[in-house]
Amino acid sequence: LSYFCLFHSGAYCKMLLHAAKYPHCAVNGLLVAEKQKEKKKDSHSTPILCVDCIPLFHGTLALAPMLEVALTLIDTWCKENKYVIAGYYQANERTKDFRPNQFAEKVGARIAENFSEAAMIMVDSTRFTMGCYEPILTIYDHHENKWKCRDCNADCFEDWCEAQKITSALLEGRSYESLIDFDNHLDDLRNDWTNPEINKSVLHLC
Amino acid sequence: MASVSEMYDVTWEEMRDKLRKWREDNHRNSEQIVDVGEELINEHASKLGDDIWIIYEQVMIAALDCSRDDLAWTCLQELKRQFPGSQRVKRLAGMRLEALEKYEDANKQYDSILQDDPTNTAARKRKISILKAQGKSAEAIRELNEYLEQFVGDQEAWHELSELYINEHDYGKAAFCLEELMMTNPHNHLYCEQYAEVKYTQGGLENLELSRKYFAQALKLNNRNMRALFGLYMSASHIAASPKVNATVKKANVKYATWATNQINRAYQLAGRGTKENKCSVKAVEEMLESITMS
Repeated sequence: LSYFCLFHSGAYCKMLLHAAKYPHCAVNGLLVAEKQKEKKKDSHSTPILCVDCIPLFHGTLALAPMLEVALTLIDTWCKENKYVIAGYYQANERTKDFRPNQFAEKVGARIAENFSEAAMIMVDSTRFTMGCYEPILTIYDHHENKWKCRDCNADCFEDWCEAQKITSALLEGRSYESLIDFDNHLDDLRNDWTNPEINKSVLHLC
Repeated sequence: MASVSEMYDVTWEEMRDKLRKWREDNHRNSEQIVDVGEELINEHASKLGDDIWIIYEQVMIAALDCSRDDLAWTCLQELKRQFPGSQRVKRLAGMRLEALEKYEDANKQYDSILQDDPTNTAARKRKISILKAQGKSAEAIRELNEYLEQFVGDQEAWHELSELYINEHDYGKAAFCLEELMMTNPHNHLYCEQYAEVKYTQGGLENLELSRKYFAQALKLNNRNMRALFGLYMSASHIAASPKVNATVKKANVKYATWATNQINRAYQLAGRGTKENKCSVKAVEEMLESITMS
């Protein structure tokens, strides 16, 4: 029984842009997938497509209230768009620290309550390059209350070449300077955490 | 590649003023500082007067953040030449060693500063930063506590300690640090709001009520603090929904939560966003409120 989630280029690229915008901070965020119409008997053979990424916070992550606000608001947004919160990503403050901590596991478990195939994703900053030569994520699946690590390679992407090309281009162009996370939104409500401008840039490069 | 002055159509004075603003606000926008600062130094050094030395320092630190050791080295040499034997420059040399992950050498540098001047707080704080960089959180916390016994008024240190405790999920001790900060800075809405967040995270009815009070206090100090507003809403809602509270308390908290919802709606409307996303946020808040009043 193996869960399989595929990353859309836009989702992957926004995760990396978020980490690039705050290289000296921990960052985290959510991944959303399209809601599947019916649960078929062999639904676990249909991969889940992570279509978008909502960057949440940077800096001190381990506090509850704003996370609860974000989860609630984004959950409502998902319902309106026929999405479901399917995953959680985190990049730790220290480059060499790429293992999930207690906080990541807690949030992941919370998401798994609503979506059994939820994935917890850690970004490995030691392999972070402008050229994006390889996927730098580690994926964890929830099995019997434990998180099991799964390797992330080109097969985990809808189109790895496209994801690589787009992410690299946006990093070079410093698009991360205009990336908005939920923290930015709380600082100024006019900041849009759906990042429409970056979505446009991604589509443009597809 | 076009220069900064060409791309943004700015004069060297504007660039210099921008650097000063970033210095004063303690912004860590290192890439931009490097872009602007490097051009200023290369093209307009003679016009900067004595400002150039503090700009060298600012640009050097930003260059370390961007792995621009070439630029950092240049700035360091200029500063060494101008201020031979300076502790402040020695500390910058130490920071460069840190950036190169030569922690032993960096520590030696800071120890030599402290030998000459045991009260040099900058060197002590850099040593603690090294512990942080090496992932030695427990030691960093211990050293920072010792530091604060001596330098009890150092706000930056109290705040750093609160963050270290939060990362270790030691919310009680984090709260203590924030209490120190609130005592000495009673008008700072950010400390109030952060304290409220820590209390909320600790959980339990008593902490929730405390968190609600401090979210409210933060709002009194700054009525545009959205985190405080959302926090007030969340804490009041949870208290109202708790089976442990009596009807009076429940009623009061429903009132607070309703007030907060209205303020949140207003805030979104003021932000002028009639977009889809705005409506969803407002809708979510309304839905949450409905769920409490029904129970």
